[in-house]
Amino acid sequence: MKNSLKMLRAERGWSQSELGKQLKVSRQTINAIEAGRYDPSLPLALKIGRVFKLHIEDIFYDVDSD
Amino acid sequence: MTTERATFRYFQIFIPAILVYAAGSIGLTWAEDNVPMPLYVLYGLAIIPIISMLSIFWAHWRFANEIDEFMRLIQIKATLVGVVCIMTVATGWGTLELLVDAPKLPVFWLLPMFWVIHSAATGFMSKGEGMF
Repeated sequence: MKNSLKMLRAERGWSQSELGKQLKVSRQTINAIEAGRYDPSLPLALKIGRVFKLHIEDIFYDVDSD
Repeated sequence: MTTERATFRYFQIFIPAILVYAAGSIGLTWAEDNVPMPLYVLYGLAIIPIISMLSIFWAHWRFANEIDEFMRLIQIKATLVGVVCIMTVATGWGTLELLVDAPKLPVFWLLPMFWVIHSAATGFMSKGEGMF
């Protein structure tokens, strides 16, 4: 699964640590999600959507889907 | 809860518990050879390192529940690596003891071995994730 988290975070001028604090996760977790090494759970993905005021499918997408 | 806070809470239990475990284990080994006491007292005192060990596992369980899901995944993977290595050594060596009279493996060392392997696996995985 790919995501546009890094771009969205950069648009808002937030650091990984700042985003992590808002989501109550570590900076390492944000880094792993952005790098595509870790797919977040549904509750965390929903929380990310709420922080960015977007639907999760606007942030996360399946590369195989059309 | 932050990872730092969860780690602090973990070490609040881990450090005293590991000291009691080490002191209990060393003390019991020394007492067995140097202090005359009935066997049931020795068995009773053996509870000390056992409770310390269980405290460490409980603290680790709590730590895994308090950290976030990605950090938890690393801990679970490291625990699996530790369990697989220890089970392989214990079962493999146990089979050799049964079949070819291999020297007895002191099972006391399985727990320290588990923690060494677990720590190394956590370190390797954390490094792989670019954490340090």
